[in-house]
Amino acid sequence: MKEPVRKTKHPYLVGVAIACVVGGYFHLVSKEKKFPEPGPNLEYDISELLEIDEVETAFEETGQIVPDFDEAKALETDADGNLYISGKNTIAVFDRAGKETSRIAVDGTPTCLELAPNGQLLVGMGDHVLVLAPDRSPLATWTDLSERTHISAIAADEENVYLADGGSRIVLRVDYDGTVLGSFGKADEARDIPGLEAPSAHFDVAFDNDGQLWVVNPGRLGLERYRDNGDIVTTWYRPDVTRLDSFSGCCNPMQIAFNSKGRLITGEKGPVRIKIFEVTSGSFEELVVGSSAFHVPQQIGDLVVDSSDRILVLDPRKKAVRIFEQTRTDLARKEAAE
Amino acid sequence: MSERKKLDRRDFMRTAAAFSFTGATWMAVGQKAEAKYWQLDPAKCTQCGRCTTHCVLNPSAVKCLNQFDICGYCDLCFGYLQPGSRDLDTGAENQLCPTAAIERKFIEAPYYEYKIHEDKCIGCAKCVKACLVFGNGSFYLQIRQDICINCNECSIAKSCPSDCFSEVPESDPYMYLTGDTYLAHPPA
Ligand code: SF4
Ligand code: SF4
Ligand code: SF4
Repeated sequence: MKEPVRKTKHPYLVGVAIACVVGGYFHLVSKEKKFPEPGPNLEYDISELLEIDEVETAFEETGQIVPDFDEAKALETDADGNLYISGKNTIAVFDRAGKETSRIAVDGTPTCLELAPNGQLLVGMGDHVLVLAPDRSPLATWTDLSERTHISAIAADEENVYLADGGSRIVLRVDYDGTVLGSFGKADEARDIPGLEAPSAHFDVAFDNDGQLWVVNPGRLGLERYRDNGDIVTTWYRPDVTRLDSFSGCCNPMQIAFNSKGRLITGEKGPVRIKIFEVTSGSFEELVVGSSAFHVPQQIGDLVVDSSDRILVLDPRKKAVRIFEQTRTDLARKEAAE
Repeated sequence: MSERKKLDRRDFMRTAAAFSFTGATWMAVGQKAEAKYWQLDPAKCTQCGRCTTHCVLNPSAVKCLNQFDICGYCDLCFGYLQPGSRDLDTGAENQLCPTAAIERKFIEAPYYEYKIHEDKCIGCAKCVKACLVFGNGSFYLQIRQDICINCNECSIAKSCPSDCFSEVPESDPYMYLTGDTYLAHPPA
């Protein structure tokens, strides 16, 4: 007698069950976990804040100068329309057409440049100042200027040289021998001086066309006008990220310069914007160029205005000096501002 | 006897050679096999928000850090405040961080310190983007190695749009910002 063999009634069910177990295992092992995409609560949307500069402007980018050296950082112009660009171990001079005409070798990367009325070229080298004679031979080095010197800008008249010292957050007044005659910018309630706030160890100084010294207070997002003795004459601050007639961010404007008509040109970082203001009142006049012409966010290296009122902006991302010129006169300035 | 002595010496030499070889191999392999951990490069990060949502851990192992030597200690801190908030105070309605993980502490006029409480941080990068656009860019994201379980394949790495993730050696498991990071951002 044959042993009874137990046969399943539905052999295909076993197959299905095995397939399910194996399939399920691979499903569990291999299935990618689905993650939700970040919702609007997790998004930092700056589109509305960028839209404020979408206005027509009277200016256009008309050219670029691309230096062939690294670390381009500072600009200066002279009365003949020549442009000085500093970079690693060098200062190159370009004529108005953008052709390089000469080079001056320096030891290090200059942080700022200033042509003094006596023809000397004052070169900020971070913790010291290098003085080049009118023939551009080295004349002197000014050291031991402050405790934590970082020279980010220089403005010079016939008698004094003013050094924006971003490291110590003060303005140093020195003579042409490099002797420190005084400093100002520290908070002083008795004299109504709020104190310079320089969150990024950088601020700018410049003379207006009447010879008045203006100092940027970047942390307060505005300008202060000082006397020689450090007294404040006037101030205006425009902190508002939502308005075109104000400055955005925690510390702006990064750069200032004056054109031949005495109008103040400002350069902001973050969303880069170049604007024109009436300097005494701080009233906004017009936009030169808005953030769409630059990467967002980015810094600007330096900003100068040449003898024919072209605005030259050192763009560190493009490694180029970008030239902006007024090409339209039909735009009502106030209209553009609104 | 002499035969046996010979064999012993040879055996000894063979064994010694085998041990030296094995030891050298073990050391070489051991040195190469330094543990690797996932980390993200803050200079490449475009603050997309996926570090919050795509980590297998909840809350994410990615946290925000403040590099104090770059921080401006600004009164008007965009990493801390909602854009456009007019009152510079610590009211919840003014704070940008969705979990109130950032503490604002007065240091001396006019400077404030911004400290991240990592236990509250979900790695959303809102503050990182805000500080980068409107400030000095001192906030940045990092995978906290003491929290991360070091997945075989980091699930954030797989979805990161900016290719920020790589495996780093155990001896150097973090990537810090440098002063030039702000400018070193890749072109858009
Ligand atoms: S996924 Fe990449 S780009 Fe997005 S926040 Fe994380 S590191 Fe930055
Ligand atoms: S905003 Fe986001 S990344 Fe910044 S501290 Fe808060 S939770 Fe962390
Ligand atoms: S390895 Fe895993 S735990 Fe670590 S960050 Fe990536 S997904 Fe999160």
